[in-house]
Order: sequence, then structure tokens, then C-alpha cells
Amino acid sequence: MKLPSLFRRTPFRLTLLFLALFVATASAVLAYVYVASASEARARAEASVKVEVDALTAIYRTRGKDALNQALVERAIRGGPYLYVLKDAAGKIVTANITDVPDGVSTGEWETFRLTDTDEDGRVRKRQSIGLDTALSGGEHLFVGEDVGDVEAYLSRLTQALWGAMIMVLILGIGGGLVISRRVEKSMSGLNRVVAAVQEGDLKVRAPIRNSGDELDELGQGLNTMLDRLEASMASIRHAGDAIAHDLRSPLTRMRAKLEVALMDADAGKVSGVDALGVALDEADLLLKTFNTVLAIARLQAGGAPDPKVFDAAELATDMAELYEPSGEDKGLEFSAEIEKGLMIEGNQPFLAQALANIIDNAIKYTPSGGAVKFRARRRSSGEIEFSVTDTGPGVPDEDRERVLQRFVRLDNSRTEPGSGLGLSLVTAVAEAHGGRVQLDEGPGAYGGQGPGLRVALVLPPASGTAG
Amino acid sequence: MRILVVEDDAEAATAMVRGLSEAGHEVTHAVDGAFGLLESQKGGYDVYVVDRMMPRLDGVGMVETVRKGGDQTPVLFLSALGEVEDRVTGLKAGADDYLVKPYAFAELIARVEALARRRETGGVQTVLKVGDLEMNLIGRTVHRGATEIDLQPREFQLLEFLMRHAGQSVTRTMLLEKVWEYHFDPQTNVIDVHISRLRSKIDKGFDRAMLQTVRGAGYRLEA
Repeated sequence: MKLPSLFRRTPFRLTLLFLALFVATASAVLAYVYVASASEARARAEASVKVEVDALTAIYRTRGKDALNQALVERAIRGGPYLYVLKDAAGKIVTANITDVPDGVSTGEWETFRLTDTDEDGRVRKRQSIGLDTALSGGEHLFVGEDVGDVEAYLSRLTQALWGAMIMVLILGIGGGLVISRRVEKSMSGLNRVVAAVQEGDLKVRAPIRNSGDELDELGQGLNTMLDRLEASMASIRHAGDAIAHDLRSPLTRMRAKLEVALMDADAGKVSGVDALGVALDEADLLLKTFNTVLAIARLQAGGAPDPKVFDAAELATDMAELYEPSGEDKGLEFSAEIEKGLMIEGNQPFLAQALANIIDNAIKYTPSGGAVKFRARRRSSGEIEFSVTDTGPGVPDEDRERVLQRFVRLDNSRTEPGSGLGLSLVTAVAEAHGGRVQLDEGPGAYGGQGPGLRVALVLPPASGTAG
Repeated sequence: MRILVVEDDAEAATAMVRGLSEAGHEVTHAVDGAFGLLESQKGGYDVYVVDRMMPRLDGVGMVETVRKGGDQTPVLFLSALGEVEDRVTGLKAGADDYLVKPYAFAELIARVEALARRRETGGVQTVLKVGDLEMNLIGRTVHRGATEIDLQPREFQLLEFLMRHAGQSVTRTMLLEKVWEYHFDPQTNVIDVHISRLRSKIDKGFDRAMLQTVRGAGYRLEA
């Protein structure tokens, strides 16, 4: 059988659990109080009855039956807590201050019985009493008892009060549990709505935050942060997808146009079709290059640097400087390199070479003739290996620096230059796959009509065991 | 020269067979590694061109088996786009060179011819001669005719590679891989700048240019 939905709610279940615990504890306490009080009252009553019996039997022993009878009459008239019944040897009642003498009482044993009494209003009440029957030496029987109804009444009032309290606690507890359960459910339903909406594909929903600082708020905040990141990465995937489509479309469109022109030229007998095919091939190669880079970035991001080896990055840096220096000089740039010795790193050498090539190539490409490009490779005081390329080109505005590291982002003033917009993204992917990072800073500032320039730094951790 | 093409993709194989045949080579095609292995055992080939991914016996398996059998015929390994680790695997298996698909045909032919040539000139040479250009590998000197040419170390290596492959087209990628020993895309034609510096040293002032640009392929040093 399925429980009603309320009973399946955690807060309500907890409430019930605590109530059950409370009732069990209270019952145990009550039982103890009851038993302790009852036995205490009984013991006190028995003791006082015993004292009375002793006093009366002493009178009987010293002064005889009539003196006892007289004492009983006096005591009955004077009033007192005791109940007396004196029977003669034949079993006939001589003196008694109670009407309903218990039958068949056994001598020398405590007797518990109900005494019929009338109160001030004339109502008949049965009151709990105890008594002891004593055989006297002349064959008479003296029964002395005490009304313990007051103790009984007290105990029963106590019990009633406790039961009442328990019922109140139960009612308040269940009510409180319901209220808490509703409130928690209300806060949870906010979260549940968000989760349900996300399942439907809506990433814009956010959990309500009540600023109460409780666990549910924390959970909601965590959920919201997660959704922010998810939304951002979805957006960047979408953006990359759009950008790939866009970047692949323009060379494809160009290629198509060139092939079409070539076909027309060939039809017209102008036989320059071979040239056009060559250009179309170049366009196809560009496309493939873009594909390759996108794929390489995806692999680096998914699987880190493949086939890592420990090698001296100083050698790599020297080779790169030597490889690019003529290109820089041909463009009329002052190209210089400053490379420290012994820069051991662990990584994939071809990818790191590619990353350095991209940075140096960018600097040469975007720095106008007459400018300078400086390539440095050094060990930072932190032990990290830093490759930096500083140029005197137009630089990248502060607000765009984060952006140019993303895929396919090309700043407006660079659109005329060839390139896929993937160069720095690949550098970032290579850096991150090696546990490093890319830093963009302003270059040396305005310089001979140029500037402010750009400083791109690829920072990598040193190979383990070579930092010191 | 005789070339064995081991490739399971029919279209790629047809293009390769046709292109290599038109370049004047005798080409045999095997459809997978197992057939390739059988064919190689007939002997008489100058170069094997082996695709990496094939049914039955793949490229790595075939090359390993060929090498275990003592066959030292040069192997050019082909593999699909962007497999970064494949070059290492291929070279470890015993391949001599490596080309990533899709490739320019000029690149394939240049590499196949370079592999075959390397085999021909197996002996140790101390002097390389191409036309009136002479390189002394021990003294590290270069002369064209009576004129001594002063070269930077890298220019010397570059010229040495071109002289060893004189009469053949060598691509920019080949130069970057064999002379600089790097495998990456330099973005701009950095190699062209190095070639033009070398050219200005060995051809400037002489009536005949030896270092020629081959359109769509790369460069060729002609006697």
C-alpha cells in the first residue's frame, strides 16, 4: 500500500519520528512516577496503619476488650484517617466506623478494598483503601484500615494531565510538522521547478533565493551557479558551431565562385581553368587547416597533451626564433630573442612548437613595418617557464583580451588579415592541456607612431623535479 | 621506380595509383594489410605506401611484420586527419616517413621519391656535388665553381638536404620536418624566407639559377 503523499515527505516523517520518541519517553517517565508515587503512598499508609494497630492492640492487652472498644468509639467520634472494624469471637461486629466491611479478609495480610463513601454533596464514591486484620488473644478480630483514595486521585489526575499534555504535543507536533513540511516543500518545489524546466531544455530558469542562508538557499545558489556555467558553455558551443559554419562557409563560397568562373572561362576557350583549380585547391587546403585546428583544440580540451615528454624548451625557443627571425626582418621589423638556458618542461613538443609559432606569427602579422617583436623564454621566480612575445603593433584593448582567446573571435581591425581566428584559441588549449595558461598584457606603449602593442605570454609549469 | 600502395579506400587508391603512374612510376595496389604483406613478399619494390586504418591487417601490423621479416624497403605511412599520436606509433612500427590525410599530391610524390632516393644513396658521402655546386660535409664548406659560399649552420643543413634530393621536388613541410625537425603548421611561409636567403647566396651573381620554385609543390635544386 502506498502511503499518502504527506507521509512520504521528509520533514513530516521527521516530525512523526520525533513525536513518537517524545511519547515513548513521556510514557516511560509517567510509568516511573506512577509506580514510585503509588508504592511510596502505600508504604506510608501501611506504616501508619501498623502504628495504629500497635497502639490499639496495646490497649487491648493492658486494659481489655471494653477499653479497646471504648478507644475505638472515641477515635471514631473524634474523626481521623483510620477505618475500624472490631468483631467479637463469634464474628459479629461490635464496633465499626465503616458500613461495608470487606468479607473474607485473611488475618495478618494487607487487604486492598473499595470503600463506599458519601461526599459533602451526598454523592456516593468508591474510595481506594487498605487495611490489616489482626486476631486478638480473646478471639476477637480487629481490622484497621486507611483511606488512600487521595493518593489515588492525585495519581490519576497526574496521569490525566500527562496524557492531556501528550495529546496536545501530538496535535501541535503534527500541526507544526505539517507547516514545516509545507514550507520546505514550497522551497523545494522552487528547486524542483527549476530542475524540471532544465530537463525540458530551458537553461534560463534560476532557483529563487530567499537570502535565509540555509541549506536550501545554498543548494539553490549552487544550482544557479551550475546553470550559469552550463548556459555559458552551451552558448559558447553554439557560438563555436555558428562560427565554424560561418568560417567554413566563406571559403566554400569563394571556392564555388572561382570554380564557376573557371568553368565559364573553360567554356569560352580562355583556358585559364587550371589556374582557377589551383586557387580552389588552396581554398580547400585552408578549409582543411581550419578543420584540423578545430579538431586539435577539441582533442586537447578533451584529452590533454598527447605523448608528453620531458625536453629542453630553450632549444625549442631557439629554433623558433631562428625560424621566424628572417620573416620578421623581411617585413621590416626589429626581431630579437632572449632565451635563458635549461628550461626543462614536460609536454607534447609539436603542440608547444605550434603554440609558439602561432604567437610569434601573430606578432609579426599584426606589427606594422618599422616596429619591433621581442621573443623571450625564461624561468620565472616561481619556477614556471614563461614564453613571451611582445610587439609594438596596435595591441588588443583591455576589454577584448579575454575574448580573443576564444574560438573564431577576430577583432574587426584584423579581419582583413588571413587567418581563422583560431590561433590564440589553440595556444590557450595547448597551455591548458599542459597545466599552464595564456596571459595577454599591454605592450611597451606608444612607440614611433605605433602601439600600444601586445604582450602574449605562455606560462607552463616546469617539468617535475627540475624546478629547483 | 616500383611502388606498392596498400590502401582499402578504393577511391583514394585509384587517385594514388593514377597520380603515381603519371609521375612515371610502376604502381601495384593491395586492398588491405594481408594482401599488402603477400605482395611485399614477392619483392622488387622501392617504396611501400601503407594506409594506417585497414580491415584484417592494419598498417601498423603490416609494417611490423614486414620489418620482422628483414625487409628494409622504405615505408611511407598514411593516416587520417588529425591523429596526433599516430605519427609516433607509425614510426615506432618501422615506417620511415609519415603523411596525414588529406595531403597534396605533390607532397605524396615528393615524399615517395625522397624515400626511394635515400635508399639509392645509402653509402657514406663526404662530398656532395650538384652541377658546379660542391659541398664538403667534413670541412663544412660550400663552393659554387671557384666561389666559396658562406652559409649559416641552418642554411648549410637546408642546402645539404636539397643537394641530397637534387632533381626532386621537396615540399615546405618536408623541409620543416627534415631540416628543422619540427611537425607543426608554421602559418605563414617561413620556409620561403629561408629559401630566398639561401637562394640569394648560391644563385646571386651566377648566370643560371639552381634553386627553383616548383609551383604547387615546393622547391627543386637543379644541376
